Order: sequence, then C-alpha cells, then structure tokens
Amino acid sequence: MLELQDVYGGYGKITILNGTSFKIQKGSITTVIGPNGAGKSTVFKAIFGLLDIHSGQVLLDGRNVTGQSPRQMIGSGVTYVPQGRNIVPQLSVYHNLELGGITSPDQAGLRGRIGRVMEQFPMLGEFRDRKAVELSGGQQKQLEVARSLLLDPRLLLIDEPSIGLSPNLVQEVFRTLTSLRDQGVTILMVEQNAKAALAISDFGLVLELGQTRMHDRAETLLADPRVGRLFLGGSIEEEG
Amino acid sequence: MSQFAQVLLSGLSTGSIYALAAIGFTLIWQAAQTVNFAQGEFVMLPAFFVLVAINFLGMPLWLALLFGLLMAVLVLGLLFKKLIVEPMLPKTGLPLIIATMALSILLKESVKEFYGAEAQPFPDILPQQTMNLAGAVISVQDILNLVISITAVVALTLFLNRTITGRSMQATAQNPAVATILGIDTKRMVLYTFLINAGLAALASFLISPLYLAKFSNGETLGVVAFIAAIVGGFNQIRGAIAGGLLIGVLDNLTATYITAEYRAALPLVLLILIILWRPQGLLGTDEGRQV
Repeated sequence: MLELQDVYGGYGKITILNGTSFKIQKGSITTVIGPNGAGKSTVFKAIFGLLDIHSGQVLLDGRNVTGQSPRQMIGSGVTYVPQGRNIVPQLSVYHNLELGGITSPDQAGLRGRIGRVMEQFPMLGEFRDRKAVELSGGQQKQLEVARSLLLDPRLLLIDEPSIGLSPNLVQEVFRTLTSLRDQGVTILMVEQNAKAALAISDFGLVLELGQTRMHDRAETLLADPRVGRLFLGGSIEEEG
Repeated sequence: MSQFAQVLLSGLSTGSIYALAAIGFTLIWQAAQTVNFAQGEFVMLPAFFVLVAINFLGMPLWLALLFGLLMAVLVLGLLFKKLIVEPMLPKTGLPLIIATMALSILLKESVKEFYGAEAQPFPDILPQQTMNLAGAVISVQDILNLVISITAVVALTLFLNRTITGRSMQATAQNPAVATILGIDTKRMVLYTFLINAGLAALASFLISPLYLAKFSNGETLGVVAFIAAIVGGFNQIRGAIAGGLLIGVLDNLTATYITAEYRAALPLVLLILIILWRPQGLLGTDEGRQV
C-alpha cells in the first residue's frame, strides 16, 4: 500500500529522517512509536508533501508520489489528521466537514457524503450548526477524523489522536479507527500512548533518530522488553 | 433634531467610507499577518487612475471608473501581493511592515510628481441634490454613499459566509495549516483577499474623492483614521472595522457640530487611547484566534 524507501528529509537544511524505510499493508492499522525527536510526525509530513524530501522515495501502491503536494496526495486517496487541534474554529461543524470535501470532483454528492459521515458520528449531526471552537477536545478530534473520511480515503495518516483526551474519549477514538480499518481503510498512526495504540494495531514500527529500528506485528512489539525500555529513555541499539 | 439627523447621516456616510478602508486593514492582517501602512494611499490612488483615464485617455466617466477599479485590483491587489508581500512574507514581522511604509511614500510621491501637489477636482458620480425628510435637509449623496458602502460590506460578508470560496478564505485566515492539509489552495485564497481589499479601496476612493477632491496626500489622513477605526472596532474582525469606521465618522461630525471643530482631528486619537486602555482587543475584537 505505502512504502518508504530510504527517505532522507527534514525542515530546510535540518535533516530529521535519516534513511527511513518501511512498508505498510493495505487494510491494516500500523502504529509508529518512538522517543521524542525520533521523526514520527516528520515522517507523516514527508509522506503528505508538507516538507522537503532530500532523497529516497515514497511509493503509494507502487506509484512514486515523492514530493507531491497535499492536494495531490488527497487526490491519491490519502488524508492526514495532524496532532493538536485542527479545526477551523469560527466555522460551524457542518462547514468544517464541507471543507474536508473541497477537493472532491463530485461536489454535487458532497452533501450526501456529509450526511453519511454525520450518521457515523451522531454527535456531529447534533451540533452541526455549532461553531467548531465550541466543541470539547474529544468532539473536535472526532470532527477532524470525520472530516478526513469525507473523501473515502484509502490511507489515513493520524498523528497523536489521543493527545489531550480523557481515557474514555481515547477509547472512543480508537474504536472509530478500528471500525475504519474494518471498512478497508489503511491507517498509519503516530501515538505516544504506545501500549494502548499497539493493542488496537496490526503492526507497529519503532522509529529512532529518523530510522526504522523495528517493524513487526503489534503484539510482538508489545511483548518485546526493548520497546518498553525505549520509552524509559534507552535506545533500541543499546538494548539490541 | 433635524440638524442632529443631518449630522448623524453625514457622519454615517463618511464613516461607512472609513469602514471600507478599515476593512482592508483587517483583511490584510488576516491574509498576511501584517499591517499595511500604505492603506491610505490605496484609497488615494484609484481616484488618480480615474483622472488619468478621463484626462489623458479620453474615457467617459463610467469607463474611467471601471478602468480605475481594474487598475486598482491589478496594481494594489495583484502586484502588491506578488512584488512586495510574497517576497517579504517569509521574513515576517517588521520588514514587511517597513516595506508597506516605503510603498506609502512611493505612491504618494509618485502621484505628486506625476499629477502635481494641487488638489484635483474629481467628477461627481452621485446626484448632488438634497431632500427634505421630516424637516431635515438630507444630502442624497450622503444617503447613496452609505447605501453603496453598506451594500459592498453586505456583499462581502455574504460572499465570505455563504460561498465555499469565502469559507475557504476564512479557513485560510483562521488556520492556514489546516487549510493546507484539506487541500485548499491557500495561495489563491490569500490572493483573493488582496484583490478584494484593492476593490474596496477603489470603491472608497470613488466615493470620498468627490467630497475631498483628489490629492496626493489624501491617504495620510484616511490611512490614519481607517487604522484607528480598525483598532477601535477590533483588528481581527470585519464587523469591528465597520463599527470603528462608523463610530469615528459619527463622532467626528457630532464633535465638529456641537462641541468644537478645532479638535476634531484629535478625536480619533483620543478614542484610540481610551479603547487601548479599556479594551485592547477593540470593541468587537476577540483576544484569540483570527477571523475574516
């Protein structure tokens, strides 16, 4: 589905990704974990065309999409939910959703798709005319996820979906993600809450210093003591 | 009472034109996070485009106004954005603000060199009659200035709120990072903002120049008053700019008529100081976030 081949990239002259390589299977959830500064969010930005890739390739279904703009990536069926709050605060819930479909070639069918997404997330239908800024943190995150689904993406990149959410809401967001996976959407997720994220994932990969250190089934990573130690300040290389 | 009505209407009329210019400050702030200190000259210049069209190109008034509008959109919208804002934008902050100050001087001095320092008569584009309304003598021009300005502002508001392009412009202003990941063409949205600002400045120019004549230095006063109007109303809100413009227009006229004409120029500054002390975000402004 998605493959990164020896990707080097970063912000201007600062290189964050140092030869990142991995493959993501279609219809799976893969969680990217790693210590702060490992390049987890950066790898998403590189895939989505938001920063410079100095060398290497990003392949989507075997097609080279390296350096494509966000608009082009959306056109290729990829959507991205960055970490933090990603709403248009003063627009209504409905209009935030509408903007999620702005690149759709089928604008006439957009209203129907928004209706279907609101059925999937009933809270959004209930608050459709409320300003997005007036929603709670969890509701805003649901809005972001719902908005990213308007174009029926094949690949969803979601960065730290649990940040700032209560444990109940985290479970709600994770349930949403597994449901999407069951519908055939491929999900690549960055998550600090590694244990909870791996528990719902099919695969996990560990990034460190912009390189893929481990890539395995999620349950294997969960059981690996090196992963636990990594989050206590160690490194995979030291431990390995 | 009839005098009060006349003064009030005249104030609203002038204030609505200030509001058009003040909205420009808000729009540019939203689009480029900068203060355009050439905004006054943006209102001064289109009148001279019209005069050039009439006096040098021999165009009739209606065609000259259209020419003036198009030139304003081209020069003060497109070229301003492409030649000054875009190259300076990555530097952010002070360099761009200084660039707009330099542009202000350039425009003013260029008009002075080309057209002279004398005030130039500008053709009336609205009827000059007066009408009697409940004992008050009302200027038709004042009424029409007010109606045209309000119509322009309502049209802008409808465009921003009721069209997908307008909402995309709002998204770009409120959260450019999100607009980008949604696939909105943010560069185009920012360009639209600059073009709209130029169009509003041209309209303000066409409405105010018959009253004040066309002069190279008109932008000095207009720019300051519109800037203060935007701050008083709330720099990050269009409705704030409108409220600020109308308030200053009305207070200016009421002060000049009922208190003293000598200190009328000081009034906006007094208002500015009071607002900054009492409510720094302006009457209708908000503390956080940016909104078109």
